Formats: sequence, structure tokens, C-alpha cells
Amino acid sequence: MGKYLLRRILQMIPVVLGTTLLVYALVFALPGDPVKAMFGDKPVNEAVAAQIRAEYNLDKPFIIQYLLFLKNALTLNFGETFSGQPVISEIARAFPVTIKLALMAFCFEAIFGVVFGAISGLKKGKWYDSVILIVSLLLISVPTFVTGFVGQYVLGVQLRIFPVTAGSNPGFFDLLMPAMVLGSVSMAYIIRLSRSEISTNIPQDYVRTARAKGMSNTSVTFRHILRNSMIPVVTYLGQDLGALMGGAMVTEQIFNIHGVGYLTYQSILKGEANMVVSIVTLLTLVFVVCNLVVDMLYAALDPRIRYA
Amino acid sequence: MASIEETPLLKVDSVDESAPATSMWADAWRTLRRNPLFIISGILIVFIVFVALFPGVFTRENPNYCTLENSLGAASSGHPFGFDLQGCDVYARVVYGTRTSLSVGILSTLIVVFFGSLVGAIAGFCGGWVDAVLSRIVDIFMAIPMLLGAIVVLQMFRTSESIWKVVLVLALFGWVSVARIARSAVLSTKNLEFNTASTALGSTPMRNLFRHIIPNSLAPIIVIATTSLGSYIVSEATLSFLGIGLPTTTVSWGGDISNAQSLLRTDPMVLFYPSVALAITVLAFIMMGDAVKDALDPKSRTA
Repeated sequence: MGKYLLRRILQMIPVVLGTTLLVYALVFALPGDPVKAMFGDKPVNEAVAAQIRAEYNLDKPFIIQYLLFLKNALTLNFGETFSGQPVISEIARAFPVTIKLALMAFCFEAIFGVVFGAISGLKKGKWYDSVILIVSLLLISVPTFVTGFVGQYVLGVQLRIFPVTAGSNPGFFDLLMPAMVLGSVSMAYIIRLSRSEISTNIPQDYVRTARAKGMSNTSVTFRHILRNSMIPVVTYLGQDLGALMGGAMVTEQIFNIHGVGYLTYQSILKGEANMVVSIVTLLTLVFVVCNLVVDMLYAALDPRIRYA
Repeated sequence: MASIEETPLLKVDSVDESAPATSMWADAWRTLRRNPLFIISGILIVFIVFVALFPGVFTRENPNYCTLENSLGAASSGHPFGFDLQGCDVYARVVYGTRTSLSVGILSTLIVVFFGSLVGAIAGFCGGWVDAVLSRIVDIFMAIPMLLGAIVVLQMFRTSESIWKVVLVLALFGWVSVARIARSAVLSTKNLEFNTASTALGSTPMRNLFRHIIPNSLAPIIVIATTSLGSYIVSEATLSFLGIGLPTTTVSWGGDISNAQSLLRTDPMVLFYPSVALAITVLAFIMMGDAVKDALDPKSRTA
């Protein structure tokens, strides 16, 4: 296991370097001048532009720019916003909100996804299996922002169960509906995934063996069928935790939650390329680390992976 | 399942050899035709494509002709869905928005399938350092969440008026998933007997690749292409909703939903119609993807 972990961490390094380079190149090296974009509709003041270029090292060759950015990023120094706030303190304020939202969505999709998926997979062909399947298909087809509006309108405006928007310092209850909306699409995927895994595992030989040796139905279901069906579900869940943080942008926008997604969106509107690149870099890191944790879990659950 | 003893050998061998041989594709088509999911989604998709090609058949209104005196007007004869805040006919905008969503979805899918399978096929076919380098590049793109990557790129092109920027951005972050699948499909096909036979008969590696390996690896690529089409339509709508996707001059469902956002409490129906159109279109393509997957991947066939 230790050897496998080491190998995976070493493999991660080129991916992280490549990803940050790609994001950096996309933001700063594409046609379209980020410094000019800062001026918006106003005429470009060359002296100020030159000063900004020097400040962000934009006057240096691209690869030097990238290395300087990387060096600063290692010490969590991402520079300042236009209003003079350090980027990292803005991010530090927004991150906990998004982490809270993403974790709540994660728990929601994991619990309900697995439970409904298991019911559906174990009782294939029953009427509630069909209902669960149709609902999950609908949730996948309806984009998050539409689910969000429907939730807001029905549960917030009409029934007044949940607050319509969350605001700047949201509590558990404020985030409940946004978390359900954020997790709904992934929940539907988990339902479908667990259902198909369970139905491929039920006719397997090892299940028959377990029954043949006299195990009770409950034991066979929980210790053999469900346990083996959960391996791909765990992989999906782990990858999704990283994706939820990035995908929170739409949900945060709809429910007015001041998290990372909201911050990214506002930064894009204001043209704060520095903030955008910092957030995307951090989120990509979260995503890569989540994938690493998933691979570890995967190796722990399925010994065949370790020796491959 | 009957035990071996119960099945006489004769019955096992009694395959009707006089019947014409069916190819994998003919077999898949037979499975598809019987699948109600395929029939429903097929009819929906044909209808959606028809609306996209001939919007004039469904409405005489111009989606860009808006008068403020009609602002938030109720549904009336000739305007079944009423008017939005700017006084545009909602029905006409929903009809004309079909073309935008469908073009973005289809164009992105075509580019993604072309480049993804090309790169994946090269990686799987060449192996060695080519595969190592290409696979690392795929890993790098995989690590960037699609929505975030798309936003980073699109904010650079906010003044561009073309729908191609959205198509290309979706393709830029979408090709990797196809490349991965194409690579593994080619890898598993590469060492099968018919390739060895073809090589023994003197065909070049390139001929092998295009005549044998690629046609035999197509099934998983087609499956992911169908499913992706729906998700590209969702991504386009999401980007337009965030205001950095399609230009505001283009009639699109995502843009209309975004504009109607503030009307949630007062006129939810303006928000409702483009959302339903979007959901039905995506649903049709996802159902089609499921049906195609069932037909082309016998292992996933549900009993």
C-alpha cells in the first residue's frame, strides 16, 4: 500500500504542474489583453497599464511569469485584488462557506443516492423501482439552475418552508435547499450507478455460493452484494466532491451564497484575472487530491488494483 | 438457468445456419427498434431537429421583435406563452432557441468525437512513449472541472459575437473523456486475432488501424457521444445563464432563463417555458444514450 501511495503521489506532480500551467496559460497568454480588460470601457492609460504589467510580471517572458506565479502560490501569496485586498484573505473568507455547502450536498447525494439505488436495484421491476428510475432520469435532464428555480419557487416562495436566498453568513438551515439542489444531479447518477452495479452482482457466482453455504438473505445482501457494488460508487463520490466545489458556482449564484463560486463569478464580472486564476488553481488542487484519496480508497476496497 | 445435463447437445448445436449472418450493427439495430425508450426519444429528437431546421413552420413571430408595450403581457391568440419583460414573444423565442441549443450540442459533439477518438486511437495504437505523453495530457485536462475551465477561457472572449467560442470551449474540455474511452477500446481491439490475420496477409499498420481497429472500437465512442450531446446542451445553457456563454444577440434558452431570473416571484411562467424546452431536449438525448448503450453494450443489457 505504501509503495502504491508513493507512486500515485509521484504521478500527481506532473499533473498538478501541467494543470496549473494550462490554467495560467489560458488566463494570461490567450489573445485578449487582461490588462486592457481591467479598464473596461474606459480608454487605456498606458502608464497605469505598464505599472500593472510590471506588478503582475506581465512584462516578463511567459515561462518566467508562470514560475514566479508558482513560487508565490507555494507560499499562498496570490497577490492583491484591485481594491488592494490580499486575494488569499478573500478566498479564505469564501472557502469555508463552499466547503460547508459541498459537504452537505455530498452527504445528501451519498445517503439518498445509495439508499434509493439499493432499493431500486434489489427490487428490480417493482413499481417503486420504475418511479425511482424516472425521477432520477428527470433530475439528470433538468439543469441545476432550473432545479434551483423550481426549489426556490415551490419550497421558498409558495410553501415558505425554506429561505429563498441564503445571504452572506448562512447557517445549516439556510444551506439545506441549496445543498439538495447542488447534489440532485449527482444523486441521480449514484442511483443509476448503484442500481446497475447491484443488478450485475446479484446473479454472480459468489452470491450463489454465499447462499449455498446457508447465509441469511440479509447477510448476503449487505456483506456481499452491497459491499461489492459500492466500489464504483465510492469512486464516483470521491471524484464528485471535487466537482461539487467547482459546480457550486451556479447554485451559489441562484441562492446568493457568498462562497467560492460567487467570488469567482464576481471576479469574472470585474475582470480580476488574478483572483480567477488563483481560485481555479486551488479548486483544481482540491480535485486532484480528492482523486488521490479515491484511488487510495479504491485500492483498500479492491486488492486487485494495488498489484496491477 | 438450466443445468448442463438438462440441455441436450443437439439443442445447443441447433443454431440455424441457413439464416443470414447478422453483424453487430444489425443486431444492435434490432435491439434498439424494440426498445420503447428508443422509440420515445427518437420521436422527440426528430421533432426537435425539425423545429430547429424549420422554426418558421411553428411560429410567424420574429423572436427579436420586442415592443415594451407588450412587456409581461399575458398569453393571447397567436402568442400562446405570453411575453417577457422586454415584450418579446416567449413562444417564438423558445422555438428559435431550439436551433441554438441543438447546433452547439451537435457541433461540440462532432469536434469532441473527431479529436477525442483520433488522440485516443493514436495513444492506444502506438503505445510506448506516445501513449505515456498523450495520457498525461489527458490527465491534465481531466483535472480541470469543465465549468471552471470554460469560464476561464470564455471571459477572455466576452466581446465575441459567435457561437463558435462556446462550441470550441466545450470541445476543448470535452475531448478528453472520449480520448480515454477510445484509447481503451483500441487497446482491447489491437491484439485480437483478426488483426494478426490481417497483418499476416500483408496489410500495413495504418490499413489495420483504419480498416479494422477503428471500426471495431466505434461502439463505446458512439455511446459516449450520444450521452455527451445532452450534457453539452446543459453546459451551453449553464454558461449562457451565467452570462458568459452565447452573445446576448443570439436567441438561446440559457440566456432567456437568465433574463427571466428576476421574474421568479412575479411571472414564473416566463422562466418556466424555456426551462421545460431545455429539459425535454436534454431528456430526449439522455434516453437515446441509454437506449444506444443497451443495444451496443450487450453486457449492460437489462434482462
